[in-house]
Amino acid sequence: MAISRRVFVKAGGLALFSLGLDPLFLARAAYAATNRLAVYPSSRPILVCLFQRGAVDGLNMIVPHGDPSYYSERPRIAVPASDVVDLDGHFGLHPRLAALKPLWDAKSLAIVHAIGSPNSTRSHFDAQDYMESGTPGVKATPDGWLNRYCQHDREHQDTPFRAVAFGPQLPRILAGTAPALAIDDLQAFGLRAPQPAARDRLTRAFEELYAGSATGLLSSSSQEAFEAVQTLRRVDPTQYQPAEGSDYPRGKLGKAMLEIAQLIKADVGVQVAFADVTGWDTHVNQGAGEGQLAARLAELGQALAAFTHDLGERMRDVVVLTMSEFGRTIRENGNSGTDHGHATAMLVLGGPVRGGRILGRWPGLDPADRFEGRDLAVTTDFRDLFAELLARHMGAPPGGLDAIFPGFTPDPTRFPGAISV
Amino acid sequence: MKYRILGCLLLLGIGSPPMTARRVVGAQHAALLHMTVTSLRDTSSPSALSPRDSALHALNRLAYGPRPGEVDRVAAEGVMHWIDRQLTPGKIDDGALARRERDFRILDYDRGDLAGMYAEVQRERRERKLAANGAADTVVTPRDQTARRLAGQFQELAVVRAALSERQLYEVMVDFWTNHFNVYFGKGADRFLTPDYIERTIRPNAMGHFEDLLIATAESPAMLFYLDNWESVAPGAVPPAAMRVRARPLFGRRPNPFRFPPRDPEQQDSMRQRALQRAPQGINENYARELLELHTVGVDGGYTQQDVIAVARILTGWSIKRPQQGGDFEFHDWAHDGGEKQVLGAQFPEGHGRDEGIRLLKMLASLPATMHHVSWKLCQRFVSDDPPDGCVDDAVAAWKRSNGDIREVLRAIVSGPDFWAPRNIRAKVKTPLEFVVSAVRAVAADPDTTPRLAQVVARLGEPLFQHVAPDGYPEMEAAWVNSGALLDRMNAAVALAAGKLPGVTVSADSGLGAAASPDDIVAVVDREILDGTMSENTKRVITRQLADITDPGQARVLAIGLALGGPEFQRQ
Repeated sequence: MAISRRVFVKAGGLALFSLGLDPLFLARAAYAATNRLAVYPSSRPILVCLFQRGAVDGLNMIVPHGDPSYYSERPRIAVPASDVVDLDGHFGLHPRLAALKPLWDAKSLAIVHAIGSPNSTRSHFDAQDYMESGTPGVKATPDGWLNRYCQHDREHQDTPFRAVAFGPQLPRILAGTAPALAIDDLQAFGLRAPQPAARDRLTRAFEELYAGSATGLLSSSSQEAFEAVQTLRRVDPTQYQPAEGSDYPRGKLGKAMLEIAQLIKADVGVQVAFADVTGWDTHVNQGAGEGQLAARLAELGQALAAFTHDLGERMRDVVVLTMSEFGRTIRENGNSGTDHGHATAMLVLGGPVRGGRILGRWPGLDPADRFEGRDLAVTTDFRDLFAELLARHMGAPPGGLDAIFPGFTPDPTRFPGAISV
Repeated sequence: MKYRILGCLLLLGIGSPPMTARRVVGAQHAALLHMTVTSLRDTSSPSALSPRDSALHALNRLAYGPRPGEVDRVAAEGVMHWIDRQLTPGKIDDGALARRERDFRILDYDRGDLAGMYAEVQRERRERKLAANGAADTVVTPRDQTARRLAGQFQELAVVRAALSERQLYEVMVDFWTNHFNVYFGKGADRFLTPDYIERTIRPNAMGHFEDLLIATAESPAMLFYLDNWESVAPGAVPPAAMRVRARPLFGRRPNPFRFPPRDPEQQDSMRQRALQRAPQGINENYARELLELHTVGVDGGYTQQDVIAVARILTGWSIKRPQQGGDFEFHDWAHDGGEKQVLGAQFPEGHGRDEGIRLLKMLASLPATMHHVSWKLCQRFVSDDPPDGCVDDAVAAWKRSNGDIREVLRAIVSGPDFWAPRNIRAKVKTPLEFVVSAVRAVAADPDTTPRLAQVVARLGEPLFQHVAPDGYPEMEAAWVNSGALLDRMNAAVALAAGKLPGVTVSADSGLGAAASPDDIVAVVDREILDGTMSENTKRVITRQLADITDPGQARVLAIGLALGGPEFQRQ
């Protein structure tokens, strides 16, 4: 049976091939065969996405301190104008994001305000789903837009580290047919055993098993896996020293950012990296200049500043994007918090960024300008920003964007202008 | 290929699949049929499966893999006889599982109980947060713990049933429908509605008629909440509750213009405004769209956006009685759009209520596109990631004959030549659930009630009941085979073999007797764990790995770990 099975699988694959279909495993196997141990040029564009799950209060993150309604609507939680780190006379950073001010001044930080989804849902679940699938209003999209980008650009499939998500599972945004890696802990990636000798033995044994007995996708994926293990051994995550003065915050976000920086510096071919940042659903006592939200923002600001510092020169190829499923109510609620709203703000950070600017049209906070009479209106469809990053930073050809955002025709005239052309 | 080449014939004798020939439609093909049967009979040996091979294949596809000795038992019973028994699960004694289920306290809670507990947990958490002035909350109260334990038990129970049930095909079908009619355990009220959904909506209908299952899911609070239909109302419809808010300040009287001081109209307005804002506004198409695209006719089912809107209008008012308390299905007449509609060419005249929803679901359940879409998915599950047309056609024909009796559709699939075709044997990669459960069964491990095994399944990429999108977990191997997931499978296999996988008790040695030499161990592992599918390369590699291990116990553990984590065991 063993022999005939392999023959059948092979024959099946070839038959598909001759019908004009492209079985994924053949494509992957071909790349794996021709590109083993390739050296990845260190000038490849890299996109790092952070998802602020829980809906960040964009109005306290990037404060419209020049708008009097902001203060009248938020008597208990508004950030006092004297504490805001002013950016352009109208907007300013939350004081606990002060670590980002030098990046703004260096024109490597841009902010897109009043950005969000054309869909009006206020459900975390639905809105996150739409932001990750890239198809607001359509539930059945099987894959995420970052994965579709990877599907589209097959040229870079040759490294298992091409698309990496930090966390126990692959997030929706990277789900799909293009290979993507979920790494919960870089140091524990690979075969686990109490002693290094036992680990090496297991690794070798499984590598031989798969090299000789696996067929199809099992064969190419296992090759990728053992290459990744080998690469990581060379990189040796346990020995990583961030650049002098990079002060990563303790906690999951700091660890993820440190590991992303490490992989980028190791030139293992990272092109897309993703991490979650939780704790933004501030219904109760969210605080103003200090408090709950301030603590989350401090961690975010510190992580981004440390990451930028750590990468140093390498930031010229890197763009970091923050996103969140929606914003929060303009008016504070009865518990000194905010409820689910509509538009929020996103940060775009990195060498290729045309920074030092607030992008997007500011709709204002007047009741007449609000969405459904209560929330900050969306003036930039999040897909316009995502599409711009893919087109102008990642080099996705304009024709490919339609396939990455099905049902949407990205139009460069609507791009917020976050990336230098 | 209008007339398919006749599939392989299985000339197996006792205990094997019956001799099967494709039904060829039309009398004019009788001659062709006769000729091909004759010629195939002469050259059929390459595709014939031995009784053992066919038993193994059936156990891999229609069950969660064989337990030690099971292949021989099924082969001795006769694989078609075994399949027949699996198709009538009610007649299979499952006492051992029933006893084990008593350890799962989640089964003692209905959705009202769970909703109450969830509300209490939320209330406690809110109060602590207020008291702590919004500081991060790390307190875990006993109630918190109970809620978490129950949620873990719910997921673990799915793994335990798959591993221990004698009604294997039934459990496979429960998993199939759970994904076909996916809901997400993490969305709001579905945290306490989902266990009930599995127990009372999916399980009782998993081997019945498709129409009953479809209606049951449409009326289930879990689905109504997950795809928002409970909030779908006719445009302009105002719930009685919001009417009361407007009425209350006036105490049912007309406003008195001479009253002094007049009631602040702004305050009055804002109260009503808030009530109305909370209230659903207009139709919500989510469920309607997925009902067509995923549950019934499929994305190529020929419907338009107008059909989606009409389906949504027909189902306006299908709601939940107090969802936050775990309430039941409730039809809201006030929310129903009583106008005339048209769906896929069928007229739905005005003036109807809930009845037109039932009519719609019955119509959808019996459309050829639905039969084809669902049959295709079943064939994808049981035969091949890319199912052959012939298999789907057979399933559709059985569906038509039996009015959508799921058991008859299954019978047609497993009686057809495609199911037994050599190119489809071990052609599918196991999902994480199938991998973990089949490994547990292969070593006769005994899972407990802690959610550890479910956590392993989650780690490998399939957190149960937590697929966010309504399409459910995929059947395609591309979704499951990637480098990180493969390494995790190897780690899980090694841990299970060593008895170090938390949550299961393994006596890995049990089936392996006293095999001591590398050659003997490899032979026994091949026979007992891989049922004779071990490749020459795998035998060589494992034998070499065992050469310098002096402790036979350790050697057996390593051999089992490599076998379970190796490529052969990833396939079914």
